[in-house]
Amino acid sequence: MEKEGLGLEITELRLGLPGRDVAEKMMMKKRAFTEMNMTSSGSNSDQCESGVVSSGGDVEKVNDSPAAKSQVVGWPPVCSYRRKNSCKEASTTKVGLGYVKVSMDGVPYLRKMDLGSSQGYDDLAFALDKLFGFRGIGVALKDGDNCEYVTIYEDKDGDWMLAGDVPWGMFIESCKRLRIMKRSDASGFGLQPRGVDE
Amino acid sequence: MNYFPDEVIEHVFDFVTSHKDRNAISLVCKSWYKIERYSRQKVFIGNCYAINPERLLRRFPCLKSLTLKGKPHFADFNLVPHEWGGFVLPWIEALARSRVGLEELRLKRMVVTDESLELLSRSFVNFKSLVLVSCEGFTTDGLASIAANCRHLRDLDLQENEIDDHRGQWLSCFPDTCTTLVTLNFACLEGETNLVALERLVARSPNLKSLKLNRAVPLDALARLMVCAPQIVDLGVGSYENDPDSESYMKLKAAVKKCTSLRSLSGFLEAAPHCLSAFHPICHNLTSLNLSYAAEIHGSHLIKLIQHCKKLQRLWILDSIGDKGLEVVASTCKELQELRVFPSDLLGGGNTAVTEEGLVAISAGCPKLHSILYFCQQMTNAALVTVAKNCPNFIRFRLCILEPNKPDHVTSQPLDEGFGAIVKACKSLRRLSLSGLLTDQVFLYIGMYANQLEMLSIAFAGDTDKGMLYVLNGCKKMKKLEIRDSPFGDTALLADVSKYETMRSLWMSSCEVTLSGCKKLAQKAPWLNVEIINENDNNRMEENGHEGRQKVDKLYLYRTVVGTRMDAPPFVWIL
Repeated sequence: MEKEGLGLEITELRLGLPGRDVAEKMMMKKRAFTEMNMTSSGSNSDQCESGVVSSGGDVEKVNDSPAAKSQVVGWPPVCSYRRKNSCKEASTTKVGLGYVKVSMDGVPYLRKMDLGSSQGYDDLAFALDKLFGFRGIGVALKDGDNCEYVTIYEDKDGDWMLAGDVPWGMFIESCKRLRIMKRSDASGFGLQPRGVDE
Repeated sequence: MNYFPDEVIEHVFDFVTSHKDRNAISLVCKSWYKIERYSRQKVFIGNCYAINPERLLRRFPCLKSLTLKGKPHFADFNLVPHEWGGFVLPWIEALARSRVGLEELRLKRMVVTDESLELLSRSFVNFKSLVLVSCEGFTTDGLASIAANCRHLRDLDLQENEIDDHRGQWLSCFPDTCTTLVTLNFACLEGETNLVALERLVARSPNLKSLKLNRAVPLDALARLMVCAPQIVDLGVGSYENDPDSESYMKLKAAVKKCTSLRSLSGFLEAAPHCLSAFHPICHNLTSLNLSYAAEIHGSHLIKLIQHCKKLQRLWILDSIGDKGLEVVASTCKELQELRVFPSDLLGGGNTAVTEEGLVAISAGCPKLHSILYFCQQMTNAALVTVAKNCPNFIRFRLCILEPNKPDHVTSQPLDEGFGAIVKACKSLRRLSLSGLLTDQVFLYIGMYANQLEMLSIAFAGDTDKGMLYVLNGCKKMKKLEIRDSPFGDTALLADVSKYETMRSLWMSSCEVTLSGCKKLAQKAPWLNVEIINENDNNRMEENGHEGRQKVDKLYLYRTVVGTRMDAPPFVWIL
């Protein structure tokens, strides 16, 4: 078997972390892989179109990276119609981890943010601040009563809930979208400053 | 030779319907060829460039039904540029000119324009059936022409097409006099649907058996539609989000109970899982269930539904069902013949994906299984050997391990032995797709044992030209061979040129074939169209000094009786 002594790393198409020229490595690997194993095919293998022959020595076994995987054209072999329709599902109706729409009163466009990238309400506050460039939101989440804004979210059942009541884990499981609402619009709805009932 | 008058022989031929059989009949003798060609009503053309419409009509002047396939299979995975070809307009124009009595047109992977649909709708008085699968190039305006002009339309079946939705009123273009619809499938349309027009249409179509709705048809409309069409056999649910306590949901539950003929269910795009129970009362009748677009339905709801489906023959689902879910399928669906498990997460490894355990469970529990498409995270040789033992009746076996080149995850060996066991045991295997780490050995097995194999898909596999040679030499019935990212080159390509005359087509992309190899092939085989598809470089291949030895990115060759096609775009070079 030609593979003896080479080690499986060379023959496997492994994907590195993003930022390691993974796309280039994938393309190189296609040719490099074949060059490693070419014995008597008779074709002139040093005329590789990409111009680079990877020695294979620096191929690392790293965890699969989603960004890199999607760069192999047409793989996995799922037809483009199905791809389009499954991606759509993910972005519009996926609950919990993943991107949710964030709207803010007075801002004419919505933003999208990845809830999964925040570790807790503090993180979320910071992220929301960054999104809309307005310090007030973070304060709203933490302190509640002093702020012009209120952070609410739509949960799995379609109800609008005040952010911060439930544990973080429960929150991200059920949050479908976020809205930063003017407190004045919510007046008369019995919004107590946090800490009063505890 | 013939002791019967022609009319009698023709009558006998009427009972022979399969294309293969009719083709065989026509080869027996001149007399039978003549009788057969005048009585042939249905023609299947697997590659629209293998023949032209004029020759088709010369031979079969009584044509009523035509099936045409355009782009090669790998076009589904974005490996073929959109403008490559497969235009249906010249066919429709020729058919219209010849005044043949066309009643049915089935197209797959072809470019269809509104102009061609309009021409189609106006040219054939008895036109009844239009089936478009994975086609593109048209809009809802084209559908409006079909609706408006085809007086006897029976089937309008649009499967997974890319249709530009002009949000027009195509549904209202069906005249009030149109009452003949049997199939109406517009699930792939993206835009708004005129619900009133739809309800009226369904209400006046007593023969409607198959109705597949798009995303824009909400639950309450579905309930009303089902009340209008309790005779429905095949239902594609559109959007299925609603509050389970609402009035529409109650109406739906009542309507479902009355649909005692319902055998096939699909759709559930954007589904609220807890509403699925509305369908439980008819599940015991279902023979086909397609939940592969229902990304919202997870684990327990899916399993609860499937547990009611004891008569299921065909199941398409997402891998979010998990191995445990597949075990439930295996213990419930004893009549299962076809299973497709699609990946729910196309970007990275998911936790709820399926493994070799699910596949083994299915093979053990479903003795009638003959077709499988299985996307999974990992596989072992041992599992495949077990599957082969449990299910020697596979006709189609397509396994896709999501990570290219992944070996047996227990032994780290290539999966040659596993696939070898499959081809050895499954003597009726006609279609095979390989994945995982594979050496030339697997191709030796395929060449030795896969005697009935007609279609083989290879990706990231093999070591040397020997691999491809084993297949070309061994598989006598090979029709379609498609290879990507595998180290097969000119030696394999040129070894037996006459082989390609027995095949429909060969696709090789990102392999080791060179331009000079392809040129040699084209020279030796003038009855082949040898196409080089080079999107990026256009004509750089020719100008470059290394011309001969330059590797060809995409090669597509196919037998043809009509020579080089005239409609190829600039980036396709036909040698």
